[in-house]
Amino acid sequence: MPREAEISLNERAFIQQALQEDLRLDGRAFDAFRPLQLTFGDEYGVADVQLGKTRVIARVSVEVTTPPPERKFDGVFQIITEFSPMASPAFEIGRPTDAEVILSRILEKAIRRSNALDTESLCIIAGLKCFALRADVHIVDHDGGLIDASCIAVMAALQHFRRPDVIVEGERATVLSVREREPIPLSILHQPLCVTFSYFEDEDVFLVDANAAEEQVRQGEVIVTMNRHGEVCQIAKYGGATMDPLAILNCTNIALQKVRELSKFIQARLDEDAAKRNAGGLLAELSAENAR
Amino acid sequence: MAPEALLSPLHRADGSATYTHNRYSILGAVNGPIEVQRRDEMPEEATIEVNVRPAVGVGSPKERHLETLLHSTLRSIILVRSIPRTLVQITLQIRSLPEEDAMLGVNTSLLILPHLLHTALLALLFSSVPLRAIVTSVLVAIPFTKGAGPLLAPSAKELMRAKPFKSIHVFAFSGDRKMLLNESDGVFGFEEWDEACEMAEEVCCKEEGGVGLGEGMEVDGQSATENLEQWLREVVKSKVEREQRWRVAT
Repeated sequence: MPREAEISLNERAFIQQALQEDLRLDGRAFDAFRPLQLTFGDEYGVADVQLGKTRVIARVSVEVTTPPPERKFDGVFQIITEFSPMASPAFEIGRPTDAEVILSRILEKAIRRSNALDTESLCIIAGLKCFALRADVHIVDHDGGLIDASCIAVMAALQHFRRPDVIVEGERATVLSVREREPIPLSILHQPLCVTFSYFEDEDVFLVDANAAEEQVRQGEVIVTMNRHGEVCQIAKYGGATMDPLAILNCTNIALQKVRELSKFIQARLDEDAAKRNAGGLLAELSAENAR
Repeated sequence: MAPEALLSPLHRADGSATYTHNRYSILGAVNGPIEVQRRDEMPEEATIEVNVRPAVGVGSPKERHLETLLHSTLRSIILVRSIPRTLVQITLQIRSLPEEDAMLGVNTSLLILPHLLHTALLALLFSSVPLRAIVTSVLVAIPFTKGAGPLLAPSAKELMRAKPFKSIHVFAFSGDRKMLLNESDGVFGFEEWDEACEMAEEVCCKEEGGVGLGEGMEVDGQSATENLEQWLREVVKSKVEREQRWRVAT
């Protein structure tokens, strides 16, 4: 496999000098995201996120399995990320790069361990049967900001997904198909989203949503995951640069503002999609869900 | 219904295409010719690597089987000897399958094979990897029901209605009417196979006389498929036209 082409010294100096003059290569503000596009597939639970030139497709699917004996009352939820040579020839199948390991670890912490999804609601019969939910993240085009884009894709796909309904009679559970009963949405407790800050030590600058060139020049990164209520789910710092604690506090403030914008955007797209599916306004009658 | 193709949707890959037909949707990307790893390097020809990635989960033996089939077919159309000691990397990501796919009770790897081949070809065409010929491919399904004719490039719904099947066949032809690939599954005699093969050839390859092909194959009132080679030419033509418009304008 060829290695990723390293950025040349001239390009590096150019980006750094531009940053000293308060400019980014693509003319964005330091705390601006690239244009974000979110589209949903025909099926439930497929989200296609385009963040500038980065493109990530997340797909949520479900099957019925036996829960692990130590967690009888929980369902199973897995996030699977695998880079393919499609995004960059430097990615090899079956041999994860550092970026891939970091991505899956961050998604794990941000979404799974922060309990974004109520796994207890995936249980069908305690100790016998539960739903196993898996989110496959396909990185299709790579131009930096993979963590932010993947997190948006997974959260949007989870909110879009509908799982089949089940009827439980004693020890027997019947899974009802889409034709028999309208599938039901997952119970999502909160919506964590990641914002990555790239730190340039010499210029003392934090950039939001760096592209691939800027990612190669940066000295450090801080990944802040929070939900729109301002609860921080995790903060991770990578790279050798030392950072001022106050600057990190400032990062969380910017992150909160960004996360609010992003969640609003995702919700707007979800509503649009729901309206498109709900032609004629008959969906409410089909639903077997009880009002809480 | 002709397949839909969107060319070069990706920025990073050398050539890419999204392909949608009968609710099978596939994204293909080609990188090449690029540096090859020492252990895969061949002194007189290019190495071809095919990766098929399923929509859900990680690759299984089914994907590996498809990869070998695609590998041998594509190797025969890529001019491997003109780019020795390089790597042509083909990645095919399945984006969605029709819901009925798993319920048909037939070998599902055959159903998706023509679509994968077309996606790979389109991506190869736009990555400017030297090719010897183009390839078009089609699925023929022969149902058990007496009197029902063979189905040509059926959609999953049509297959659902016509099942069970005696046999299904996948044929791939190059532009000069040479058969490149044949995969068959089920019980069949030579006559049936020959009939299926002729039908497939008619749809895949362009007739010189310009006879409207696919007219004889009425599937539920609508003519089944238009000529696949013609479709391919149209796709390429529209793409080239769009790229050359700066020249045309002057």
